[in-house]
Formats: sequence, structure tokens, C-alpha cells
Amino acid sequence: MRQRLIFVTGWLFIIIIPVSLLAQNKTVTGQVTERNNLPVVGATIAVKNSTRAIVSDANGKFKLSIPDNAVLIISAAGYKTQTINTEATTDFQVKLQEDVSKLDEVVVTGLSTSIKRRNLANAVATISAKELDATSPAQTFDAALEGKIPGAYINANSGAPGGGISVKLRGVTSVYGNTQPLYVVDGVFVDNTSTSAGLNVVTSALANGATTSNQDNPSSRIADLRAEDIENIEILKGASAAAVYGSKAAGGVVIITTKRGKAGKTNITFSQDIGFIKASKLLGVRALTADRAASLSRDSATSAALRQQFTDAQSKGQIYDYEKELYGNTGFARNTFLGVSGGSDNTTVYFSVALKAEGGIVKRTGYNNTSIRLNVDHRVNDNIKIGISTNYINSSADRGLFGNDNAGVTTGIALSSTPSFAQLHPDANGNYPNDPFAASNPLQTVALMRNNESVNRFITGANLEVILQKNSTSTTKFIGRGGFDFYNLQTSVLFPGTLQFQAVNKGTSIQGFTKNLSTNYILSLVNTFTPSDKLSLITSGGITQETGDYNNLLNIATQIIAGQSNVDQAGALNATQLRTKFLNGGIFIQEEANLIDAITLTAGVRFDRSSNNGDVGKYYTYPKAGISWNLTNMGILKGGFFENIKLRAAYGQANNVPAYGSKFTSMVVSNITGFPGLIVNTQEGHANIKPERQTEFETGLDFSILKGRLGFELTYYNKNIDDFLMLTNSPASSGYSTKWLNAGNLRNRGVELGMNARPIQSKNITWNTSVNFWTNRSLVTKFIIPPVPQGSFGFVLGSFQIQQGKSATQILGLDGTGGVSKLGDAEPKFQMNTYNEITFFNKLSLRFLLHWKYGGQNVNLTSLENDFGGTSPDYDKVTNKLGVPDAVYRLMQIGSDAHEFVQSSSYLRLREIGLYYTFTKLPVSYIKSIQVGVSFNNYVTITKYHSYDPEVSNFGTGFSSGIDVDPYPASKRANFHVSFDF
Amino acid sequence: MQKIITISIIMLLCMILFFTSCKKDYGNLNNATVESFLKDASQSELNNLVSGTESGMRNVLNLYLDDIGSIGREGYHFSGSEPRYVTDLLGASNATLSGSNFYIVNPWAARYRVIKNCNVLIQAATNSTHITAAQKSGYIGFARTIKAYQLLMNLNLTDSNGIRIDVSDPDHLGPIVNYSDGLTSIASLLDSAKADFSNASIAFTLAGFNNFSDAAGLVKFNRAIAARVSVYQQKWQGALDNLSGSFFGLNTGFNVGVYHVFGTGSGDQLNPMFIPQNQTGEVRLAHPSYAADIEAGDDRINKATLRNAAASLSGLSSNRDVWVYTSATAPIPVIRNEELILIYAEANIQLNNLNEGVKAINVIRNGHGLADYSGAVTQSALITEMLKQRRYSLFFEGHRWIDMRRYNLLNTLPLDRPGDDVWTEFPLPVTEQ
Repeated sequence: MRQRLIFVTGWLFIIIIPVSLLAQNKTVTGQVTERNNLPVVGATIAVKNSTRAIVSDANGKFKLSIPDNAVLIISAAGYKTQTINTEATTDFQVKLQEDVSKLDEVVVTGLSTSIKRRNLANAVATISAKELDATSPAQTFDAALEGKIPGAYINANSGAPGGGISVKLRGVTSVYGNTQPLYVVDGVFVDNTSTSAGLNVVTSALANGATTSNQDNPSSRIADLRAEDIENIEILKGASAAAVYGSKAAGGVVIITTKRGKAGKTNITFSQDIGFIKASKLLGVRALTADRAASLSRDSATSAALRQQFTDAQSKGQIYDYEKELYGNTGFARNTFLGVSGGSDNTTVYFSVALKAEGGIVKRTGYNNTSIRLNVDHRVNDNIKIGISTNYINSSADRGLFGNDNAGVTTGIALSSTPSFAQLHPDANGNYPNDPFAASNPLQTVALMRNNESVNRFITGANLEVILQKNSTSTTKFIGRGGFDFYNLQTSVLFPGTLQFQAVNKGTSIQGFTKNLSTNYILSLVNTFTPSDKLSLITSGGITQETGDYNNLLNIATQIIAGQSNVDQAGALNATQLRTKFLNGGIFIQEEANLIDAITLTAGVRFDRSSNNGDVGKYYTYPKAGISWNLTNMGILKGGFFENIKLRAAYGQANNVPAYGSKFTSMVVSNITGFPGLIVNTQEGHANIKPERQTEFETGLDFSILKGRLGFELTYYNKNIDDFLMLTNSPASSGYSTKWLNAGNLRNRGVELGMNARPIQSKNITWNTSVNFWTNRSLVTKFIIPPVPQGSFGFVLGSFQIQQGKSATQILGLDGTGGVSKLGDAEPKFQMNTYNEITFFNKLSLRFLLHWKYGGQNVNLTSLENDFGGTSPDYDKVTNKLGVPDAVYRLMQIGSDAHEFVQSSSYLRLREIGLYYTFTKLPVSYIKSIQVGVSFNNYVTITKYHSYDPEVSNFGTGFSSGIDVDPYPASKRANFHVSFDF
Repeated sequence: MQKIITISIIMLLCMILFFTSCKKDYGNLNNATVESFLKDASQSELNNLVSGTESGMRNVLNLYLDDIGSIGREGYHFSGSEPRYVTDLLGASNATLSGSNFYIVNPWAARYRVIKNCNVLIQAATNSTHITAAQKSGYIGFARTIKAYQLLMNLNLTDSNGIRIDVSDPDHLGPIVNYSDGLTSIASLLDSAKADFSNASIAFTLAGFNNFSDAAGLVKFNRAIAARVSVYQQKWQGALDNLSGSFFGLNTGFNVGVYHVFGTGSGDQLNPMFIPQNQTGEVRLAHPSYAADIEAGDDRINKATLRNAAASLSGLSSNRDVWVYTSATAPIPVIRNEELILIYAEANIQLNNLNEGVKAINVIRNGHGLADYSGAVTQSALITEMLKQRRYSLFFEGHRWIDMRRYNLLNTLPLDRPGDDVWTEFPLPVTEQ
């Protein structure tokens, strides 16, 4: 395979070199400025039909040698693109106009082609570096996406350091297949696997003796990326835009472009943030009295003893707020970033180092991330351009022990049954007493345990662009892109034998070692044919390949020697290994036609096969087509009131390959006293498993008025998912509990409305705002097996159930009248956000992001656990019809009525707000500017939800989000920033 | 222009040829597959299935014992994280048993998983060319015996809701059969296994079968289970006949029998019923009536030891731990002689051989430090006495609830809170309904 690649690359070079020798015989200079005649720094001045380009310097000036009669294209983020003819003069004054409605933003539409937004047939969301990271930086990259993507339902699994966030684009796209988007960083398909650390060994959250479960709350690997390095993010939300990504695109595609070096004077940015992290909300604890303490037991002797314990504790002043002790820590955060950008005409370099260290709201938890990036672009000649992106990441997250369990060991579960008069503090020798009210002493657990994920990761991508042929009407390019993503992940879990709950196992050490290598490449040929001003055709075609090789080894040692964590320092050792491997191959062709710069037609088809499919040799076909019709460019509507009006429609298909191993019925190891044993797996294989197929149609209207100061984008989509993959519950008498099936069809329909505006534009004040509204409704249109509750804890507490004719995310439960009814739906009724930036005197900038999720329900079992343990803050209130304490009333509902547990998770959240001031007139000349700022994340949340945070998911990033079982509480952060530009 | 297009197309085709020629199928990288066993299994592969079967019988055993122990009011399982042990299982206020919940779904599935493994073993042994006919019979006899035992455990939970007997084809499962048909099928499965053993040679090793690992021993085990089935069927003479083929003996030790054994080895399991004494949070407690109703001097009080402090939850309280399984590697009985002696007593009492019944009961009483039975020698008084001895002898071994149900005495079990219920049976898991 590798030899072939070298061979082909060499062969291409031989063909190319002859056409690459073209003369340059003219030097042009100029300056780029904006509306107030301030220089535009970093504008790109490119020669049309060439790889030649340069950027403007700190004064907006540029100098470039060009062929005769070349056409220059001047572009800069946030400004409208200008085209200049160079025949007449050699010195240019270019005044750029701001692009409030983003019509000139370049959007990637193919694997190797892009288009301007004004001609785009899809609603592609973009997030700029400023929107992503410059308001109030989040801890991890995935958290920085929250609230920023119209059409997405983004939900944090918990507040644990190190991330773990579910991103669902335009509704649930699968039930038990992958619901998460594909992340592509500079052409490299980046792995986003969540690897369990084996916590189920101690929590038994999945009560079948398994070592891992989807309740182990691992982070998402995409959290490793650093937001500081990102220039731009594009989100292809469904198959109509993402079809060219074929078998990985069903969940949408997030295309991340990192910063590149810019020719000219070297620019150095150094920034330092410090911040403080605190719990967003504490629930409070039950105010106990001697009577209430006594009522914790029904047994008269115990009851008397409890009363005595309470009065003793009270008289000694030993009544504690354990919630505050556990979750009241203030985490200190620091983040240092150094970025260097520079280079010559031919070679540009971007280099960055970023160091982050953050504490958590629970002691001995926190997050560290070190990232080094080097992006180099080299122009071999006018026809050959090479780009390399490299990124090394070292991240480490201490995530604590949280979430559901069946052993009473996680922090929240232990806390839920521990009253304020319990004595949990260590004695003078540091020995912790047992918690008489719970299976573990949460103070002891937090103080002595470890649950660390640490990652060493290399992501490297390469990009080769070769102009094979060019003349006045046609340019043919070879574009090769590819790369690899390799990481070693070590999960290290240690529960020393002195812990209360280690009485049986006498210490547990779970050491996991994971190695993952993902590779991908796209080789394509692109021909741009422009026979006249009125017509241009872009033809592209090529091949793609993606591979993945994942190997996870988990060692579980028990009876460990005191003070040791190595797995050999133990009395008993168990090991499990899991490997997955896949190879997907694809072939694609795409044609884009642009007529009179007003009508753009796109059509393409992709053929894919995958080693995960039942039939590994079969190619599946995914077509796509799109049309955009710009009425103003067409001349139908003369400019005036409308600056621009565009109608658009797009259609496409994409798929989601089955999970590795869904084909096989395995025999799993089950030994007994040294005899090796095998027993059938609980999952039955399905030899003919097919990929699930998504067909999306979207249509919309985009228009801008008031000279572009007010722009609207209206989109409707209809997305059908056929043969959705589902791990169905088989009748267990078959011997199998689950089986992968192509179980039915579902549909998502939705509307996305967006507005970009500049309500104020004066010399001293500018206010930019964007407002988005989006909503989605799902419907199961076909379901071939009988519906059963799933993804939660049964109807007693509220559960999901896939059912024909119903919403895919409906929550059913006992309804209090002896039946089972719909009590809620995880899907929000709608969401809205608004991002605003107000700039005063070009120096002071106020930015904020407000996010409103309206509707949608969670299954809140955190409050139930507190009721059950007798510690709810509102335990003793009496507002119910029976006149008993509310908590008692709520507990009486168990088994007959689940309304109490299915709660609205609506919220209005000020996600980010930041105020920054830039000093440009400085006493020393080597510093260009200094920016200082203060910012806040998630500081204000308005919600009626009765637990730590409405954003929660005990089951991680899969289908069933919104199940709330004593998570790591959500946090808010305050940051101070200072940044220097040299 | 034409030339450009031609070159492009040629290059594209070249790329496609060079790079997409490899089609990959990686197979299963992690495990053996069922298919590989069905082709022509070796003796060691068959032995892997035997050990996997014996090992799998232990899965979720704690839930089975908690189900029967809780509803039969032998004790409580208090769990800080799982309210349903004390709500659903005890029928607190309006709570009922649900077919979608762990307490029936998990044990039911675990038993049928073992049954599936037995079916794979039968098929693999049948298709194997590496073993003798006698060895084949040994594998099949073992598989059928275990299948019968696992079916019986599920029938114990679902009772009149029945079980599925024919489960060999996962895509075409047989019907759910009612309680008495279920018992009939189980009995005939045991009989056919006994016939298998008559000409069998045993080519495998078992972990918890002690002296009953050879063909003769496996027959004794098989008959012991058959005797239990006979009393459930109220076939009293059949029970005595089966006992005579088993390892039953009035003078044999109470603990002679077949056990689930546990170990700390790799891939092995620890006893899931073991909770150290005086734990908090996650505890298993004896029902207060256990100590209240016991006769003075009965050494079986040691199965429910006094705690340092009583434990309470949701209006329930007890000051005694269940202390039947006293270490993480303590075995859990499948069937042992003490139960067989009690079956002997029961069958004789039912057949009106009252003196023989009293004799057996006295063996039990004397064995636990009690004097001979001194009550009325009538059938009904002896049944009461026999049930009492079963209660204490087989505490937390999975019998009390079933015994009370067999004798229509569930309404005599104590209710601890107003609104509690004693269930007669579990609903079928929702996937079976």
C-alpha cells in the first residue's frame, strides 16, 4: 500500500514539473484599509489561478510580484472579497467593506472544493475564532461549542474536568449507532472515542459484573484539541451538505481549520489567563432537628440512638454541610498561550505552545493540557503547494467518582444518604471513620482515590496541491490530503484498601492502556473550467480511505498491597482486552456549475464500502445535489432595498456504518477456579447488518437588506434515516439480551432561522449581533420489533421507548392511573441563542452569548436519591395533598407515578460574557498591542430544574442523554486575561 | 480541452485501481465465535463450554436470592443507590413489580444465557468428530441437566406466568408454557439426561461438583434436582424414588452436595452474596421475624448475626446481618443433603408416613442443637414443622418464598409497613410478553 503511495506521488511530480515554470515579471504594492481608513491586518492578497498569495502587514500594506495582467483577489475574514485588475497600475489602495451577513465567507462544500456563502445551497454554520474562544474561553474545546451551533443539541454529560459533551446535529440521527458528528481537523479525521476506565468494577452501575459500562463517565477525545489554535469551524449538519463524507457523515461533520502562518513580519502573541472555577449551584442540605434525626429510623432503639447522635453533634458544634465540603472547592485555573506566525513569500509557519492547568470544584480533581502545534506551508513554485499540520497534545484529567452506581460508592450517592450530623472527618492520625449512613465515606473517597485519564496524542496532516494544467479557461489541480491521529491513553484508577467500600476487595487498582491509530486520505482531481464570465464548471473526483485500529487493555487488580498501584502488586488480577479495526473505502465525483454568478448547481455521488458492514465488498451509493439561485445577482431584483436574495435547495444521502463486531456472536471468557470457560455473549451477531442511511432535503431563503447590515437565513429540512441501527432487546429466553438490527426508519424535521445584524454603526460604537432560532421534531416512521423501554431505568422512573408513530426521544413512565403514558421528551421544543459584540472607540469590546433551551425533559434521579436518603433540602416541606413531608410524598409515587422524576430541563443561560480593552499606543515600540479582559462562563442560569444542572447525561454521549444520577456538579468560571502582541 | 479531460479521467481511474483494490474483512479480533464451535469442536473446546456453563450459572445469582429472600420476607437488601429492593419487591404503597426492571430481567436473562450455552454444547458435541460416543453422551447429559436446573430457577420466579422451553432457535422461539407443563418438561429433560449418563464417559472436569463429577455422581446430582421438581409437582412417591437415586442420606452430612464455587483467579467471580458484617449503606439484613421466631438453642441463629447498630431504610429496620455467605469465596449451594433430608420428610409426611417424617425432621433438629420434635404427630402439624425447618435450614438459599407459595401460605408472611404486598410471582420480562 505504502509503496503505491510513494510511486503515485513521484509519478505525479514528473507530470507536473513541466507546466510549473511560469514567469513573474511585475511587482505590485498596496494598502488594505477598512471603512474608517484603519489598516486591515492579515488580509490575503491572492493571484487568481495560482498558489501565489501574501497577507497584508501591520499597516495593511503588501508587496507582491505577479505575472502580467494577473487578477488579484483580496479577502479578509469579516470583509467582502474584492477582485482587482492589475493591468492599469501597480499601486493599489483597497478599501474593504464589512461583510455583516457573511456572504463572502468561503465554505467548504466538497472534499476538495469550496464556495462562497452567497452561492451556497446549504445552511452551513460557521464559528469564527472570535466566537469560539475570544468571549470567555471554556475548559475544553467541546465545551467551547456549546450554544453556538444553530440546529445542534449540545449537552454536557457532567461537570467533570476534561470534558465529555454530546453534539447532536438536527435531531437524533441514530438510536444506538453513532449519533456524534465526524470531526475533521485540517483534513485529518480525528478520533472521538470515549474509553471507559473500568469504573463499573467498583460502582456496578451496570449490574452484570462487566468491567466497563456506558455509565463510567469518560471524557470525549475531541476535548484534547485546543480552541486557541482554531481559525474557523464549519458545521455540515446533515447529509445534504455532508454526503461527500459518505459513511462517516450521518451525524454531520465538524470541519476545523487551524491557524496558518502568514507571510510578512513575524507576529507573536502571548497571553495569560487566570481563572476561578466554582460550582454553578449547590442543592443545599436538609435542616435536621433531633426529631427529624430520630425519624431516620423506624426501629425504636436506633431512632433513640440517632436522636442522641444528633444532639451530641449539635452540642459539640459538629453539624456539617457535607455538600459544601465536597463540592464547594474553588478550582484555580491558569492558561498560558504563545503563538508565533510568520514566514516568507514561499514558506509560512505557525507555531504555538499552550499550557493549561485547572483545578475542580471537588478536591483532587482537575484538568491539564499541553499542546504544541507547528503548521508549515511551503510553496514549491507557482504550481505546487504543500501544507503540513502537526499537533502534539498531552492531556490529563482527574475526574473523580460520580454518577450512577449499585454499590453506594460514588460521591453523590454516598452524600445522598449522609445526614449533617454524621461524623466523617479524619482523626488526628488521618484515619477516616466509616460513614454509618452509606456504603462509603465520601470525604475519604475523595481524599484517597484516583481516577485519571492521561493522553499523549499526535495529529499530523498533510496537504498537497498541484496545478497540473492551466490556461485561460481551465485549471486542473491534484489535491491530496491525509494524515493520522495517534494516541496513547492511560486510564489509572486506584481505590486503596483503606477505603470503607474496599472491605471485600481490599484495594482495587484498574490500569487501562489504549492505543488508537486512525488514518485517512483523500486523493482528488479538480478541474475548474471557465469558458466565459457567465459560466464556470468545477469537476472533482477522487478516492478516499479511512482506517481505524483501536486496542484497549484493562487490568483490574484487587487485594492490592498498601501504597501500591502497579497491577502486579496485588493478590488477584483480571485482564480484559478489546480491539476494533476498520477500513472504509470510497470513490466520489462531484460537479459544480455556476451560471452568471447567480445560479449554482451541484451534483455528486459517492460509493462506499466498509469492513464493518455485513457484506464487506458491497459498495453503497450516496448521491447529492444542490441548487442555489441568487435573485439579485441574476438581476431579477435590482439592488436597493435588498442587497442580496438567494433561494436554495439541497439533497443528499450519507450513512453510518455498523459498530465493529455487530456481525459476530462471540463466546466470552467466564472462568471458574482456574478452568478456562466460555459462554455465549449477551449480544447476538447479525451477519447481514447494513449501514443506516440518511436522506436529507433542505431548502431555504437567505436575504440581506440595508446594504448588508441586516441579513436573514431561513432553513427548513427533512431528514429521513432508513434502517436505523439499534441494539435491540431480544427476548432474553433466546439466550441473548441484545442484537444489532436495522430496526426501522425515523425522520427529523426542523426549522432554523438566523439573523445577522449591525444595529449600531457609528464612528465610535459598533454593535454586531446574531440571533438564531432552531427547532427539531423527530418521528419514528417504522419500527419492526415490539417497543420496549430502554436507555434508562424502566417505566417506574421514566424511560425512553422507540415506538412507531412517536417521537424518537419520548420519555414514558407510569402515569399514576395504572398505565404508562408519555411524560416528556428529551428533545427541546426550541432553542435560541444570541451572540453580541459591542465595540467602543475600537478599543473596548463587550461580547456575550446567551443561550435559551426551551422544553425538553430530563429524568432526574439525583433528587430522588436525596429523598430516598433523607437529605433533600425540601424534605420536610408540606405542599402535597396528603399533608406528609414532600419527600415522603414523592417516594410514595415510586411504582405508580413517574411524573415526579421526569422534569423539564428548560434553561436560559448566559454562557459567556467578556469585556476586553486593547491598548495600542504603548511606550515601547516592540509591543504592538496589549489586551486585558475579564470574562465569565455559565455565570447565570435560569432554570426550574431541581438538580445541579439541566445539562447532564449519566449514559454519556449516546442516544439517551438527560438521565440525571448524581453527576459531577456543573461549574461556572471567572477568568482574567492579558495578552500581548509583538 | 478534450485532452485534459482524457488525462484527468485516466488519472482518476489509475488512482481508483491503485488504492481501492483491497477489500478487508478483519473477522472477530476479540473472541471466538459461536459458529467456530459448531463446526468440529475439539475436546478442549467442549470443556471450555462446560466450564463456561458452570461459571455462568453463578451470574446474577445474588438477584435471584434477593428476589426470593425479599418477597419471602427472609430479609432485606438495603442499597443507598437502588430503592427498588425495598419499594417494588416489598410492594411499598402503590409499587408493583414491573417486567422492565432489573430484578426479573437480569436473572431471567442470565439463566437463559446458560441454557443457550448448553444448547451450543449439545450441538457442538453432536457435530464433533474428536470424541467418542460415550464422551458425547457425557457432554449432552451434563448440558441437559443444567438446562433443566436453569429452567426451574426461572419458573420459580415467574410461576403461573410460565417459561419458554423450546429456545434452540433464537429467531423462532417456542411458546410460553404454563407452570405445570413447565415442570413436566423440566422433569422429562432430567430423565433424558439421566439416560444419557447411563452409557457416558465424562471427559470434562467440574469445579463445584466435588465427588459428583463422574457419570455416577452426575446421575446423583441429576436425581437430587429431580426430587426437588417432584415435590413442586406434588409427586410424593416420585420424590422418594428420585431421592433414592441421589446422594440423599439421613446420616450423610448436611453440606454434602453440589455448589457454585468462587475464586479470585483471572476471569473468575467472587461470591456476590458476600457483604461483610456491620457494613453500612449496602447491606443485606435478616428479617426481624427470623430471630423472633427461632427456637432457643437453634444454632441457625448464627446465619443472622447481631449488628453493632441496627440499619434502617424507608421505614424498615433490622439489627441482624444475613451471615450465610461468610467470605468472598464462600460457595453457594446448588443443592445439598440438608434439603434432600427435608424433601424426604415432606414426601413422607404427605404420604402419611408420619413417623418417617418425624425421623427426618429430628435429624435436622438434632443437627442444629435442638431436641426431638415434640409437637402433634398429625399431617398438618408436621407440615408446619417441616416448613419451619426448611425456613431455617435453607435460609437465603432461595426457598422460603417458593415454599410458602406451594402451601398457599403467602398471606401469613409478615408485612412491615402499611400498604406492603407479598407478590406471588414475577411478571414475564417485557421482551417476552
